[in-house]
Amino acid sequence: MRTITKKPEVLAPAGTLEKLKTAIRYGADAVYIGGNEFSLRRRAGNFTIDEMKEGIAFAKAHDAKVYVAANMVTHEHDAKGAGEFFRSVRDIGIDAVIVSDPALIEICATEAEGLPIHLSTQASATNYETLNFWKEEGLERVVLAREVSMDEIREIRENTDVELEVFIHGAMCISYSGRCVLSNHMSMRDANRGGCSQSCRWKYDLFEVDSSNQRQSLLGGEPTEDFSMSAVDMSMIHHIPDLVEAGVDSLKIEGRMKSIHYVSTVSNVYRQAIDTYCKDPDNYEFNPAWEEELWKVAQRELATGFYYGIPDESQQLFGKRRKIPVHRFIGQVLDYDEETGIATIEQRNNFGIGDEIEFYGPGFTHLYQKVEQMWDEKGEPIDRAPHPMMIVKMKVDAPVKKYDMMRKKR
Amino acid sequence: MIELIATAESIDQAEQLLEAGVDKLYIGEEAFGLRLPESFTLDEIAHITDKAHAKGKEICVAVNAIMHNDRIKTVIPYLKELEKIKVDEITVGDPGVIHLINKNEINIPYIYDAQTMVTSANQINFWVKRGAKGAVLARELPYEELKEMRKQVTVPLEILVYGATCIHQSLRPLVQNYVNFTKQNTKTDKDAGLFVSEKKDPETHYSVYEDINGTHIFATDDVNLLPFLDQLVETGLTTWKLDGIFTKGESFVEIAKLFVRAKEAFINKEWSNDLMKSLQEKLESLHPEERSMSAGFYTMDPSDVK
Ligand code: SF4
Repeated sequence: MRTITKKPEVLAPAGTLEKLKTAIRYGADAVYIGGNEFSLRRRAGNFTIDEMKEGIAFAKAHDAKVYVAANMVTHEHDAKGAGEFFRSVRDIGIDAVIVSDPALIEICATEAEGLPIHLSTQASATNYETLNFWKEEGLERVVLAREVSMDEIREIRENTDVELEVFIHGAMCISYSGRCVLSNHMSMRDANRGGCSQSCRWKYDLFEVDSSNQRQSLLGGEPTEDFSMSAVDMSMIHHIPDLVEAGVDSLKIEGRMKSIHYVSTVSNVYRQAIDTYCKDPDNYEFNPAWEEELWKVAQRELATGFYYGIPDESQQLFGKRRKIPVHRFIGQVLDYDEETGIATIEQRNNFGIGDEIEFYGPGFTHLYQKVEQMWDEKGEPIDRAPHPMMIVKMKVDAPVKKYDMMRKKR
Repeated sequence: MIELIATAESIDQAEQLLEAGVDKLYIGEEAFGLRLPESFTLDEIAHITDKAHAKGKEICVAVNAIMHNDRIKTVIPYLKELEKIKVDEITVGDPGVIHLINKNEINIPYIYDAQTMVTSANQINFWVKRGAKGAVLARELPYEELKEMRKQVTVPLEILVYGATCIHQSLRPLVQNYVNFTKQNTKTDKDAGLFVSEKKDPETHYSVYEDINGTHIFATDDVNLLPFLDQLVETGLTTWKLDGIFTKGESFVEIAKLFVRAKEAFINKEWSNDLMKSLQEKLESLHPEERSMSAGFYTMDPSDVK
């Protein structure tokens, strides 16, 4: 029986220490975080050096890696302190930095020798000669532009041996990364320095100019619709075999701003799908439960971006949105007593007796349970758990584990 | 030494621009170059190059596209042809092209032009160490930053003094997708003259079109740095680009003449506020009526941008 031993890495976003730990527990081989400076998601809860240290220790204990994004495109003076920053993340054991700005790459290569560099998607690398260029500059890995198709990835793989990383899940920029300054011009917020105001998702009027030089709005089509550039999100869950066989080294999930509910769910699903495929690729069958699971944390419709062709109108957010049944994250298991069958839970959203809830855990375990009995910390029976972070106990019909999470349909 | 570079939309206009006194023409083919007024074949490029050289002028060819595999494969043959034609320089934005130039010993000087991504002296110096003979500055740079950059770079830095600013390039056919969804029948190429405006600010006017490099969106205001030319000269930013993508034919040639006049005035040390004002007045009358102009990010304070 054929098996695949060189599995691609599942790379998950980690906006906070809690998310880092969650992603790794739920199957991520690596996580990427933001440093306090030089990072594009300025609002995405960046890490201090001490938090990084704790994250690295946790990752090492679980055989996982931690990368730091330093993907801003610097202006004069922005790069001040970069050498110091790269040295300090190197010295505490960060596995690589993700950079797009050549000035930062040079600083990193000369002032923090030994720290592996990954080229950020922000640099829009779209062909194998570009990858060969960066390989000769000493980079370890290149994150490909989202505009690269599956066929192009295969050809790139044949023509370069630098590590390849691709986005497989999450929200997407609709421009070539780095080549959009809509936000700079419309909101005075620099998209390449972490300030993007997502102008592409705004509503616009579209005009043509007729023969008598009069502007004519084109919004009057059928169906009527404002002009917008907003795109659906990406999911490659249906195409794990292609990604593995193309020889991609790392599969990246977008979303340093996303919740632990999101990070745990998405990491869990891709971990499961990749393991299933690699264990027995010739008898692989897609499990529809994976896709269902991803829909529980989806914000928009899901599609495959540029992997199988140039995205048409079905990959833009036009018209009526499909109703996505939102699942609410309600708590995390802190403890489970086998003898009594009682779980201790830290509440994250209001729930109570009569609710149909779902437990899920690492390894894609699931338990569906109606809440029958609950107690507060003092052991007093209660009907609902209304307070954020309150500790409650409840009876479950089958074992659950510490760090399992709970959600319910809204 | 002030150098004036202008785009050209036809062989005719190219000749007129040379006649008008620009120092260098910026032309190319759309398969390799971004957002050109016209896509020229190699034969046409050869023809224009001969004309320019006969007048002691130069040609820069745009090779600044973001290349996918299919195109990177055809770059070397293209560059070899340009070498034969003896064009004077090219612009390049894709490191893959730089890799190929260095590996294949292509003897055409290249100017680094990654559009929005050229924002600091250290970035430019990175490319200079890898062979770049100059760089095209991003348009999102306030004067204060330009001044700092100029001090730390030895190669020429090209700055847009007149013309449109691209603020977005997507490989998605963003307009075609919309037109398909709303079941309309509208052309989306450059000649269609489409633009979008913000719902909350109907005064805005972002030109948009599609070509083989994707969808391109342009800023409301075209850049005009005529009132600041003295400051540019003083700072040593003297490689001036005039971009005629939305300013057609005669008008563009006439505008080029205004900048030639300005250049001469600096050489003869006769630049004055009055001259600037009269040139500015003429420029305003020649600039397309439906398009507005400003100094863009040039006059902003670096701290205005978050
Ligand atoms: S405006 Fe949209 S396309 Fe542009 S940088 Fe922001 S998210 Fe990306």
